[in-house]
Amino acid sequence: MKFDTIIMGGGLSGLTCGIALAKKGRRVAIVAGGQNTLHFYSGSMELLGSVDDQDVTHPIEAIAALNENHPYSKIGAQHIASLAQQAQALLADAGIKTTGDASCNHYRITPMGVTKPAWLTLDGLATTSHPDALPWKKVCLVNLEGFIDYPIDFVAHGLRNLGAQVETPTVSLECLKQARRSATEMRATNLAKVFTNTSNVARLADAINTACNDTEAVLIPAVLGYDNDDACNLLKAQVKAPLYFLATLPPAVTGVRINAALKHYFQMLGGRFLMGDSVENVVIDGDKVTHINTTKLQAMSLQAEQYVLATGSFMSRGLVADFERIYEPLMNLDTDAPQDREQWSKYGMMGDQPYMSCGVVTDKDFHPLKDGSPLANVYAIGQVLGGHNPITMGDGTGVSMLTALAVANAINS
Amino acid sequence: MTKTQLASISDHNFEQCLKCSICTVYCPVAAVNPAYPGPKQAGPDGERYRLKDPKFYDEALKMCLNCKRCEVACPSDVRIADLIQQARMKHHSHRPKLRDMMLASTDLVGSLATVVAPVTNFSLGLKPVKAVMDTVMAIDKHRTFPAYASQKFETWFRKNAEKRQNEFAHHVSYFHGCYVNYNFPQLGQDLVTVMNALGYGVHLLEKEKCCGVALIANGMYNQARKQGETNMASMRKSINQQSRPVITTSSTCTFTMRDEYPELLGVNNDGVRNHLSLATRFIFNLVDEGKVKLAFRHDFKMRVAYHTACHMQRMGWAIFSTELLRMIPGLELIELDQNCCGISGTYGFKKENYETSQAIGAKLFSDIDAAKPDFVSTDCETCKWQIEMSTGVKVLNPISILAQALDIEKTRQLNGVN
Repeated sequence: MKFDTIIMGGGLSGLTCGIALAKKGRRVAIVAGGQNTLHFYSGSMELLGSVDDQDVTHPIEAIAALNENHPYSKIGAQHIASLAQQAQALLADAGIKTTGDASCNHYRITPMGVTKPAWLTLDGLATTSHPDALPWKKVCLVNLEGFIDYPIDFVAHGLRNLGAQVETPTVSLECLKQARRSATEMRATNLAKVFTNTSNVARLADAINTACNDTEAVLIPAVLGYDNDDACNLLKAQVKAPLYFLATLPPAVTGVRINAALKHYFQMLGGRFLMGDSVENVVIDGDKVTHINTTKLQAMSLQAEQYVLATGSFMSRGLVADFERIYEPLMNLDTDAPQDREQWSKYGMMGDQPYMSCGVVTDKDFHPLKDGSPLANVYAIGQVLGGHNPITMGDGTGVSMLTALAVANAINS
Repeated sequence: MTKTQLASISDHNFEQCLKCSICTVYCPVAAVNPAYPGPKQAGPDGERYRLKDPKFYDEALKMCLNCKRCEVACPSDVRIADLIQQARMKHHSHRPKLRDMMLASTDLVGSLATVVAPVTNFSLGLKPVKAVMDTVMAIDKHRTFPAYASQKFETWFRKNAEKRQNEFAHHVSYFHGCYVNYNFPQLGQDLVTVMNALGYGVHLLEKEKCCGVALIANGMYNQARKQGETNMASMRKSINQQSRPVITTSSTCTFTMRDEYPELLGVNNDGVRNHLSLATRFIFNLVDEGKVKLAFRHDFKMRVAYHTACHMQRMGWAIFSTELLRMIPGLELIELDQNCCGISGTYGFKKENYETSQAIGAKLFSDIDAAKPDFVSTDCETCKWQIEMSTGVKVLNPISILAQALDIEKTRQLNGVN
């Protein structure tokens, strides 16, 4: 089977790249071995949140000062602003409305109740423009009876630290009691399925209106809007006070919705999405990949002019660590991981762990290196790239989307 | 990898579960039936307890459709549905009810029904009969049984097609499955037409038994195993002695024989698995390798919405059917979003599951309504019943569409068939 471009990996970077290519009429296939880490997304995208433990206010300025190994430096700081706009427009084309600006971060509220710098946030989610203050003095933080993935005491504590007066009523509904027949399944995404029923949304609105009097804002965990944001808008229209959603622990409805919208848009543009298949074999001849084989298509090989590696980091199996080494499993590409296993980690689990910034090494055009030389028709994008740390730097989604677009633009031209 | 790591890989990749919960997002049953604990709890989470003590086995596991959508979603390749199925096989103690035995015995019931097809179809359609089946048998009265054909596919084949099959240069065996044989011989006839036009003679297997998917779903594992052994023996003969690969027109039969046989039933399919394929995949490969050519009619026009059946999705083969359909000029293809139709073989026929079944399918049905296709296409026969009953849109197997769209004469000439 022949394509113009084959993308290995169906997460945020693979989908972004695939959409940008398919939009220009290229024949693109994405091979996705299972669902992706978008399912853990809070609903906010980050471009650059922190450098040397200091919050970043103006990401574009801060990006100019990053070291040369950071993927943004390879893109070139002067291109970041326009790629960031392209990313936001791509999301909007797929039906994902966001607010935010690459020149100045705003702050999202995490499911643990702290503020973190963010670049784009899904419309409807609570944000604040300042790390130490909320736009409201008095809020009603609503919880849903039985919902297991929302540590509301942490959130309330966090909001109080920001100076707000917080009430925390719990809403109980018959439909939630029904859902609790399997108490272990009271997760955000399952509740979102309960609220695809509009009469359940109306009951929720009634309960919130009863519970929340005299408040500047109602905050509720993001458990609505499984397929689209209809249920979110319906609830906002029916609740009297201004209503905002707060990110939950995963699997997150916001991320599931972004994932579904991007995949749907990619397929609408003619892209082929091989779901639940994984790349088994990448055949390299000289400095080029000639074809790949997948677990499901077996002997039927897939061929393309370019191959994009968007397989993600350790969790997505784009990188593997065993007892001896950290490696890239499909092509055994060069990585920047230390040889000595002792140097992969250091004291303090929650700290800046070296393994988190390990990844494949590329040239300045994102061609990955194998045995020191670049593969000419291969690009690496997203979290499989080394040189950055999504946890400590808050640059994960930005690196995924912007490297995807930089590579797509290069292929398209 | 070190030996320690290799040695610690368990059945169905059980130990690879990271507890990420992504599977729970895609379970069609948990989405509509809160009594079902969902794939994570029923699968790897529950398995930890069941390994300690079988008393932790939960009867709610029988609500699993075995659609495998959890496995497709799993980023860590844990075979969640297999874990659930295996727990059912190991711990479920109730003997199947008469109703379940009848629904599962597609061969036996099919053979009896086709003999008296007009009577069967007439009476299965009667309100009083439906009411009796509903109350006595617990087969939901809303269901329409697929009509039984008055002539089995095998009978038609022997009478009308078998003789000329040896005249072709290439040969395949056709595992037609129960549905083609008893309910819808037309699909089998379409397959013979298409394959013959490509220069391939079509042959029946020496002995064909129901693949056993309905037996597995209804807890009749020994019978399923026996039928599996018979099928594998016939297929080995076809592949090894007659050099005939085996093709099918049902995604579920194919999936069952390729993957459920070794994973669940312990039926060895070595030497068969790689030569057993869905017809759309087989034909796509031939076209892709330049071994056959297709010529299409110029006056063919059709708007088709393709639905990926659950087991088709698990096999990862939808691309073969959709790419083949896309080759047809005049065919406009809409790929429907991934959603289960809710029938899951015999599951939706059971009275206790009717509501769940329709609730699961609701999203797919509304997507089909919105797409306004001339036809829906899918590779699964039970999806066909469900979609036709629930949307009123007629469903065609891709092979039947191909049979209609091909310029048969021209295709024969292109492939050197006299």
